[in-house]
Amino acid sequence: MLFNVGYLILVAALILSAFGVVAGFAGGQQRNQRLVQSSFHAVYAVAGLVGIAAVMLWYGLLTDQFQLTYVWNHSERALPNFYKFSALWGGQAGSLLFWSLLLSLYSVALALLKRRQHQVLMPYVNGVMLATSLFFLILLVFAANPFKQSAFIPADGQGLNPLLQNYWMVIHPVMLYLGYVGLAVPFAFAVGALISKRVGNEWVRTVRRWTLIPWMFLSAGILMGSQWAYMELGWGGYWAWDPVENASFLPWLTGTAFLHSIIIQEQRGIMKVWNVVLIWLTYFLVILGTFTTRSGVLESVHSFALSDVGPLFLGFMIIIVFGFLWLLFKRLYLLKDEQTIDSYSSREAAFLGNNWLFTSITFATLWGTFFPMFSEILTGERISVAAPFFNKVNGPLFLLLFLLMGIGPLLGWRRTGMESLRRQFAWPLVAGVVMGVATIFFSPNPWPSVGLAVCAFATMTIVQEFVRGVMARRTTNNENVLVAMVSLMRRNGRRYGGYIVHLGMVMIAVAIIGNEFFQQTTNVTLTPGTKVELGGYELTYVGLENNRASNRTEVGARVIVHNSSGKMVGSLLPLRNLYDKTPDMPTSEVGLRMTLLEDVYVLLNGWESGGSTATFTIFINPLTIWMWIGGLVLVLGTLIASWPHPVKRTTNVPAGAAVAAAGD
Amino acid sequence: MKIIPIRIIRVLIFLLLLASFTGAALAQTPTPDTSAITADRVNEVARGLWCPLCNGVRLDACELKACDQMKEMIAIKLAEGATDEEIKAYFLEQYGPQVFGQPPTEGFNWLAWILPVVGLIGGGLFVWLRTRRTIGREIAGAAPAQSAAPADDYSQKLEQELSRYD
Amino acid sequence: MTDMTEPLSVPLPDTLAEAAPASRAVLIWRAIFILIPLVFIVFLALRLGTAKSEHRAEGLAPVLEFTTFEGETINLDNLRGQGVMVNFWASWCDPCREEAALLESTWRREKDRGIIFLGLDYLDQEPAAKAYLAEYDITYPNGPDLRSQVARRYGIQGVPETFFIDPEGKIVDIIVGPITSQAQMDGYLDKIRPKEK
Repeated sequence: MLFNVGYLILVAALILSAFGVVAGFAGGQQRNQRLVQSSFHAVYAVAGLVGIAAVMLWYGLLTDQFQLTYVWNHSERALPNFYKFSALWGGQAGSLLFWSLLLSLYSVALALLKRRQHQVLMPYVNGVMLATSLFFLILLVFAANPFKQSAFIPADGQGLNPLLQNYWMVIHPVMLYLGYVGLAVPFAFAVGALISKRVGNEWVRTVRRWTLIPWMFLSAGILMGSQWAYMELGWGGYWAWDPVENASFLPWLTGTAFLHSIIIQEQRGIMKVWNVVLIWLTYFLVILGTFTTRSGVLESVHSFALSDVGPLFLGFMIIIVFGFLWLLFKRLYLLKDEQTIDSYSSREAAFLGNNWLFTSITFATLWGTFFPMFSEILTGERISVAAPFFNKVNGPLFLLLFLLMGIGPLLGWRRTGMESLRRQFAWPLVAGVVMGVATIFFSPNPWPSVGLAVCAFATMTIVQEFVRGVMARRTTNNENVLVAMVSLMRRNGRRYGGYIVHLGMVMIAVAIIGNEFFQQTTNVTLTPGTKVELGGYELTYVGLENNRASNRTEVGARVIVHNSSGKMVGSLLPLRNLYDKTPDMPTSEVGLRMTLLEDVYVLLNGWESGGSTATFTIFINPLTIWMWIGGLVLVLGTLIASWPHPVKRTTNVPAGAAVAAAGD
Repeated sequence: MKIIPIRIIRVLIFLLLLASFTGAALAQTPTPDTSAITADRVNEVARGLWCPLCNGVRLDACELKACDQMKEMIAIKLAEGATDEEIKAYFLEQYGPQVFGQPPTEGFNWLAWILPVVGLIGGGLFVWLRTRRTIGREIAGAAPAQSAAPADDYSQKLEQELSRYD
Repeated sequence: MTDMTEPLSVPLPDTLAEAAPASRAVLIWRAIFILIPLVFIVFLALRLGTAKSEHRAEGLAPVLEFTTFEGETINLDNLRGQGVMVNFWASWCDPCREEAALLESTWRREKDRGIIFLGLDYLDQEPAAKAYLAEYDITYPNGPDLRSQVARRYGIQGVPETFFIDPEGKIVDIIVGPITSQAQMDGYLDKIRPKEK
């Protein structure tokens, strides 16, 4: 029937991608134009086939084709259409298909945009992208068939996991996958560069945008996951260092290091080995992360159900590790530094330190995530490694990293003289010290004050850079402040967009410090009309409000919030969703009032019938909104940094002349 | 400060004695009265413990029946006058190091803590020593430092020129 | 532009450029880069292997020693020659309640016939556990499995799980979930009865 054809389409895509891999690598090696062209065609064909397969599965979901096991497992008649659509990535097989879809879309975009450039690299790039597609198609065809059918047609499905039935859980995987999948592109270029021996700036310059955009999606995806955890899980926090969370975080760490490190290679021709290793690690961690969430290797509240994909992933990881290492060792002699680092007080040295810190954090996080597995195999004892470990180990490292983030822009290329150092560091240091002293008594713990001081330091660095830039433009071009700022970001988007991203990161750090160290909380049981006081607010419980939706009952408790001067500032309705199909898996909606200063956060724990009493957990979370604001700023900065800007040059510059552009 | 009249002091002493006798009487009851222990006080202790059945869920956030019972146990112990440390030690004895959400610092688990430190310091040392060897020295025959990235379409044109010669 | 200079400084063909033998540092780095991922992947493979098979104990019953709620120490080794039923339970476990009455009534019937029932309380607290025991009037020895040592050795995946151990100390049956039928219970017990002299 129709869905049997769907399976055959996946098989066809598998065969074509295998062919494309061979065509790409062989064609690149032999400079055989026909083979190279075939690899492009394979990319287009695989994308088309995977697209059709995805549309088929969507059709099955949206028209309630419960003979499809996947549809039966993850959908039901009463499920709103929005969630029927998103159920495509709600389960193992469907999400693998979605992965493949996004991967082929990236491959097609890459092929279309680059088909006339990088003639030497592109065949290999196609090859690597298709090899990744091939792996996922192998998973789909042999271990996780989305088109598996049962002999009979069930009347209704089992419904989508209640935790997935909200907006954040729909958008978060999409963002995350766009990030994950996109990071295969720079890796593909790295492999191409190594194989073809063109390890200079060609590949580094090309991948900058193709890394920035996936990085942006990955950052957004991680933040959205945190937002979901904050608003749905109801424990007042947003990150638990759960293995699946860490799985998304690890490639982000190495990817960020890579983004910074390639700047150095572009400018000074050093750190080439760092760069290929960092992007290889990123790709490996992406595959490892995908493996971790699906294989049951680590227990997590997030993971998909156990399936047979594990061994296939292991095989692919072995190929990634040993294949790449073999290639690296063969080409190592080409990756020698063209220059040296001239002094410790140079931007190059700061970026080297950046790489060191990021890889240390990656290693520590990876170690902590997998330690329970090592411990269980070697000693038989089940150790739990949760937030206390990661906070103690990663906390100081992130502090150092933010310090470096502030220091980096203050240092010059090659070396920074004493006079320059004094000038550059003056204001940021003052800002840091002032903030530190001002906040030292906010908490018995010195750490929040230190953290805020470092944030102030980094912020002042960024502000100083903008001020200098604007002042420079005003003296040369006589523009007003606003126009100057816009021009800065247009002409030097890389640099100033990057600073804005850093600003976003500082905001996120401030939110973390606020939530981690200054949170207030209480647990109360209230009768209608009674109130509780917390953090200067008065919260009065009014009564229960029930609502019936298509596949669930929503039980809400109305809580009115007054501030310390008696003014009503919010009417919150924390909910419990009781789903028809899974009554023992209720989900929560937190009643939330966000201001720039703090969040009032109310969770409904339980109630007596009729609402005669209701039990709440209430949090006052300072500064938490800055995490979401910081995320938006981060995305804005990335867009500025990656925006393609028009070039005004019309004259032909003779070959060999060093072209000096302003700023960088 | 006014001097407190002796009459008031006598009343206070009487009340104090009364309270201590009542307290002693209460302490003889078999199950301690936990009504005086607020949920917030329990959660203060619970925030330092982790659900032994779940993965990475803190005790105050856990909704399992086992966790509710653990919190009841905390309330009972608090009513008996145990300190936070004593309660944590009790749970450690009952459930093992899982309840602390971090590996203990003994035996094999020492490795959990020490390896990241070793990695950090070892990696830092290695990078520093490598840099020290070549810092400030010129590499023979290296091209002079380039200062900027040229415009995009220029590099594209160059790319096409070059590829024609490949 | 660096790309411009590339054709000029084209890397020498492999044979010439790689003439310099890899220094010791490079070799050590290669070893590290190869060994660490290799070890990691081996561990992952091991973990995958054990994840598939739930590794409950089999063959000779593992060490079992615990102290009951009454303070009595019980060691499985001292119970050689009798059939032993070891039941893992918890007061917060609803399915455990389904078999509690059956277990107790069977115990009262069997207690002097060469069969011993032992209850191990898994991840529980004493007051709640004692209340559970009082509720079902359980009289066979029960004690807390401190630090889940016994549970770990027997490899249980949850509660309730019951192990039937014969007089020679071998695990004969493992029942996952509550035992709800007397006939089934008798069947398991018959397999671990000591041989009549």
